[in-house]
Amino acid sequence: MTPLRILILEAQVPFVHGGAEILVRELAAALTARGHRAQIVSVPFTDSPREELLAGVEAWRLLDVTKAAGGDVDLVIPTKFPTYFASHPRKVLWLVHQHRAAYELAGTRFSDFAHTPRDVALRRRLIDIDTRALRECVGHFTIARTVSDRMLKYNGIASAALYNPPKLAGRLHAGPYGDYVLTVTRLEHVKRVDLTIDTFEKTTASVRLLIAGDGSIRHELSEYIERRGLRDRVTLLGRVDDERLIELYAGCRAVLFAPYEEDYGYVTLEAFLSRKPVITARDSGGTLEFVADGVNGYVCEPTPDALAAAVNRLAADPALAASLGERGHGVAAPITWDHVVDRLVAPQAVPA
Amino acid sequence: MRVIVAEARVPFARDGAELHAQSLVTQLRLRGHDAESVALPFHGRKHELLEEACAWRMLNLSSSNARPIDLLIATRFPTWFARHPRKVVWLIHQHRPAYDLYGTPYSDFTGSDEDRRLREQIAAMDSTMFAECGTIVTNAKNTADRLQRFNGIAARPLYHPPPIADRLHAGAYGDYILLVSRLEPLKRVDLAIAAMTHVTAPIRLVIVGDGSRRAALEREAAQRGAANRITFAGALWGDAVADLYAGARAVLYAPFDEDYGYVTLEAFLAARPVITATDSGGTLEFVRDGVNGLVCAPDASALAAAIDRLAGDRALAERLGRAGHSAARTITWDGVIEQLLG
Repeated sequence: MTPLRILILEAQVPFVHGGAEILVRELAAALTARGHRAQIVSVPFTDSPREELLAGVEAWRLLDVTKAAGGDVDLVIPTKFPTYFASHPRKVLWLVHQHRAAYELAGTRFSDFAHTPRDVALRRRLIDIDTRALRECVGHFTIARTVSDRMLKYNGIASAALYNPPKLAGRLHAGPYGDYVLTVTRLEHVKRVDLTIDTFEKTTASVRLLIAGDGSIRHELSEYIERRGLRDRVTLLGRVDDERLIELYAGCRAVLFAPYEEDYGYVTLEAFLSRKPVITARDSGGTLEFVADGVNGYVCEPTPDALAAAVNRLAADPALAASLGERGHGVAAPITWDHVVDRLVAPQAVPA
Repeated sequence: MRVIVAEARVPFARDGAELHAQSLVTQLRLRGHDAESVALPFHGRKHELLEEACAWRMLNLSSSNARPIDLLIATRFPTWFARHPRKVVWLIHQHRPAYDLYGTPYSDFTGSDEDRRLREQIAAMDSTMFAECGTIVTNAKNTADRLQRFNGIAARPLYHPPPIADRLHAGAYGDYILLVSRLEPLKRVDLAIAAMTHVTAPIRLVIVGDGSRRAALEREAAQRGAANRITFAGALWGDAVADLYAGARAVLYAPFDEDYGYVTLEAFLAARPVITATDSGGTLEFVRDGVNGLVCAPDASALAAAIDRLAGDRALAERLGRAGHSAARTITWDGVIEQLLG
């Protein structure tokens, strides 16, 4: 194999550090480990005010990613809107997401796009130019089947889902099936943490909820827990370091993760690598690519009652939690970076 | 404060400007600020300059994820084209081939009408952008002079310590002269190689660094019969470089019109004297002939004479080096950040 000079294209949101940022760095490390030269090109992204979306598109169109010190760039890998607007003859997409507020989130409480002529026109325009830029790619991959489905539905482009292991893979391990359920999430509305909290109003068992993670609505959620009188049952841990997180996974009874239409989410795989079952909702998107109801977790209606029933069942039966978790491990273990790299750098990268 | 440090760089390249921006981010964080770097690819070929400037103009960095960003620190062309209500420039350089390097072999601009218009356009656009900025300071006096001459803007130099400042230390005044540089034409390493053919003292030249000219320079050293006295050590970082500084007799650094150059300060922090040239620019802000180094005409025999002088007089090398150390240690990050954040 000839080593390639590769640029991974990233949309940077200054001062916000999330899953996509980790993904890109892990990909760079995986490419380097396989002998390629890989570097990340980050361009700041903002959607406020919304007109800046098109400026962001234009910035990527103007930048030259075909050249680098010492020669040509062999391959570029765009990831998110608007990175795929960069021009390069060998552009292999590994899509994290388009601008979701203009796609499937439009019309929901998670989007700032309303049903006004102006908003509808901007949405159409974004989807239209996306489609054209995405077609320029010579290979089409996504991070999850939800993302592939969305690209097919809105842009009419077929792609293959290419899963990657979570950052903590290799360090996660199983421990006792303890007396708490774990949620790991950024504290944002779209993660639907309020639903998770409401669930613990309905659980009868003596099981607690620990929530690891931070975000813009932490204060709001903290007050919400207080108002609901759930302070004894639900704890916001804030941001925890990797060591602590690994131990939290190792010692929990189960992981509850029920966001709205999540694309991928490392949480499911991290739970499985820790041999823990995952409770999720049928509209949670990416979690459903791995969670099979009654096999390695539970897929519930997105209501507190339904989620609480699943929590109660596992709270009453640690052996059941262990056997579901074990089967989850079998799903997550074969997902490796080597496979991701092989597909992305394949000379004629085409979807399977 | 939430601060963005804006930089522009060629993918896969490393240079002093990148280290400068990264050091600034690190130092801001050490002082409790939330600092992050924004770095867009930049190539600097003349037919792409306007597009690269335009890409920066597309960036509205006034807020991120619905929270305001307090300050943007621009460093080099075209980072000051970004949009932000509070921009500060800590100027490393404008696009030099369109400015002071025009008319030298180091510029890709010709005398054609088209190129002249492009140069004028870039200078005019830079001036417009500078007018949007609050504070403007430069990394060196040379840079400030250029800003005054081409854009009519008065600015003070704001010196900062080199990235490896904490690792540098003084050792014996050994039997080699050290040269640390990217091996690019502007750094004029060929002049040092030519000088070695005139040197009579039994002293070697160790060259640290890599670049597009490396093969040519190695050939030149061989052709001049100086290969056994010149070592190309390649690119080294951190302690490896610090240790080489510590044991050198002196440091030779004679680029053409350098802006700042960490090398002078690194040499001084290791208590080494610096041999430089009268047209080396930024080095002359620190090097005083006969006080902490030797300033020569930019020709091989003059540089050779300076090398011979220090090679033959260890006590002189030490005295000059110690004086350099006193000059360099007053430059601190505390001072820099206080000025930039105002």
